[in-house]
Amino acid sequence: MSGSSPVKTKSVNGVVDEPPGVPRERRPSLPARIAGNQASLLVLVIILLVVLFGVLNPIFFSLGVAGNILVQWAPIALIAVGETFVIVTGGIDLSVGSTLTVSSVIAAFAMAGMTGAGWPDGLVLLIGTLVAIGIGALVGTINALLINFAKLVPFVASLATLGAGAGVAVVLTGGGPVAGGPPSAQGLAVPWLGPLSWPAIIVIVVVVIAGLFLHKARFGRYTFAIGGNAFAATASGISVRKHVAKVYILSGMFAGAAGMVLYLQLGSGSPSAGYGEELIAIAAVVIGGASLAGGAANIGGTILGALLLSTLTSGLIIINVDANWNQIVVAILIAAAASLQALRGIHRRKS
Amino acid sequence: MSNRTASKTWARRVVTVTSVAALAALGLTACSSATSGGTGSGKKSYTLGFVVGASSDPFFQAMKVGAQKEADKLGDKLIFQGNATTYSPATQIPIVNQVLALNPDGLALAPTDPTALQSLVNTANSKGIAVVNVDSQVSDLSKVISFITGDNNDGGEKAADTMAKAIGYKDGGSYQVVVGLTSATASTNVARLDGFKKQIAAKYPGIKIVATGYSQSNSTTANTNINNWLTEFPKLNGIFAIDGTNATGAAAALQSKGLTGKVALIGYDAYKTNVDLIGKGVFTALIAQNPAQEGKDAVDTLDKYLRAGKKATGIDKSVTLPNIVLSKDTSAADLQKYTYVQNG
Repeated sequence: MSGSSPVKTKSVNGVVDEPPGVPRERRPSLPARIAGNQASLLVLVIILLVVLFGVLNPIFFSLGVAGNILVQWAPIALIAVGETFVIVTGGIDLSVGSTLTVSSVIAAFAMAGMTGAGWPDGLVLLIGTLVAIGIGALVGTINALLINFAKLVPFVASLATLGAGAGVAVVLTGGGPVAGGPPSAQGLAVPWLGPLSWPAIIVIVVVVIAGLFLHKARFGRYTFAIGGNAFAATASGISVRKHVAKVYILSGMFAGAAGMVLYLQLGSGSPSAGYGEELIAIAAVVIGGASLAGGAANIGGTILGALLLSTLTSGLIIINVDANWNQIVVAILIAAAASLQALRGIHRRKS
Repeated sequence: MSNRTASKTWARRVVTVTSVAALAALGLTACSSATSGGTGSGKKSYTLGFVVGASSDPFFQAMKVGAQKEADKLGDKLIFQGNATTYSPATQIPIVNQVLALNPDGLALAPTDPTALQSLVNTANSKGIAVVNVDSQVSDLSKVISFITGDNNDGGEKAADTMAKAIGYKDGGSYQVVVGLTSATASTNVARLDGFKKQIAAKYPGIKIVATGYSQSNSTTANTNINNWLTEFPKLNGIFAIDGTNATGAAAALQSKGLTGKVALIGYDAYKTNVDLIGKGVFTALIAQNPAQEGKDAVDTLDKYLRAGKKATGIDKSVTLPNIVLSKDTSAADLQKYTYVQNG
């Protein structure tokens, strides 16, 4: 086609000129390029939402609101990032909500004991965090054992731990929250550096590291390999069972860390803290462009998906919309994102 | 189709869906944001936040009606928010944070947990936002200009009296009851259970509470709890459903097992659907609060305080509204009067 004169074609966004000499196939339009990259699309949607909310109520543009959005985003981002690893392998971890709760509750008990014994706040919080992550790793191990040895599919295995975890949390606490930890805990969840609170800062660092881990490190490559074709992965020498176990333990650890973040927000370990969070995490991952079949995901997309969800929730409150509508809008987003991902997959196969 | 056409179609779909979502959000504000109070009267209009537990609970819906009416009357703007379905501090705290970020002049709060919400009340105070507590309270009431609630202790006692009468209590007899609550932390639930237990210990020692459970304002959870108890305790004499959602779940459980009239059911909160069931014998009695009045009083108190230049003169630090027992013997007029009003 080189050498032919430019052909004017109409696209939905206006007239597009073909620069001479460039074959049609190699020049996707700007909208297509944005749509082709879920992450950039999400940035666009988030910006649109921010503008929309800000226009409807200018107070949306304040540091306080931004701070709140990030405080809400932090635990969601953590469990969504853990969930991303799992979904890349073609599995799913439904237990993260309960893992969050159980970790939060057990860490709360530990911290109450230490504070009661007079230990300094900083040390108590550090140990509490380790306890929470440890419990998360424990639940992840149970998931891995159910999948690798009991031969349960991930959906069923993590569904079982979801239910058991929630039950354990209620049994341990008797239904009420576990307080008595370091008194400075709730203060740590408050934004201090502009809109950034300590949890937000730490989560940003953690998810960036996780992103590098998934997309650059060998661990990540193995994860994608298993998700793409587990058979081929085994054939190329990857110990799939071991790796899968690591991924579920990792997911559990992220959920445990999120449990600690919620502890800071509430000032106590609540047996209802993580209720329903697994669906929000999966929504963030799907909106971020992952394929539930495995092999395709993007930590950047996940992080933006989580940000989109928390921006939406906060924005709807700021413009004083009834809370019920939140779920409907989120559902539309998930459907749109999943549809895009499917189309992108068909697109790739055709080209 | 060619790559470019496919990309265009796809981009088109993206734009469509995004616009739909955006328009939906815009449309929703038009439908559901509170009408701004009457302007042009020359009076200053205050912005009042009002955050409850589970906003779908008819108790809180009635509270919203009462609060909105009063706000409209006084010319104030009301921002009424609350998680749609779950009564818990984990869901309430982010909402309170966002409402506080709007810098309202005052905040009416029905805290789902007395300690978890305390720091937010403190934050509000430090920002100069006046706070009242409605229905339930935070632990430190010194930060709160007024606490408006129903008399929960008394309600629990009245429930015990009604329960004893309904099961035909005789001294020396042994009776089993279960108690369904919404939350282990809501001060309302705690106070009602306290009142119930104290009255039983004092006057009806033969009654034993064999089980308690929590449902977080979810009637389905309440229903499951009570179904299980009905199976576990075949000789169960009575159920005390400590809030409206438990009452709904309990009524459904009794009806589905055909135990209407055989197990006494004392419920709380006069939801219209449950009030109708008194006549059908499903409920022995319902203990009605007055949430519309509580909402009205909360808005009124905040407005008075702000208009007086943030002075607490003439403001009751604690307002306790009496509970009413609704039963077969209550007049139709009274039943109508105390049924919780719903949004039109």
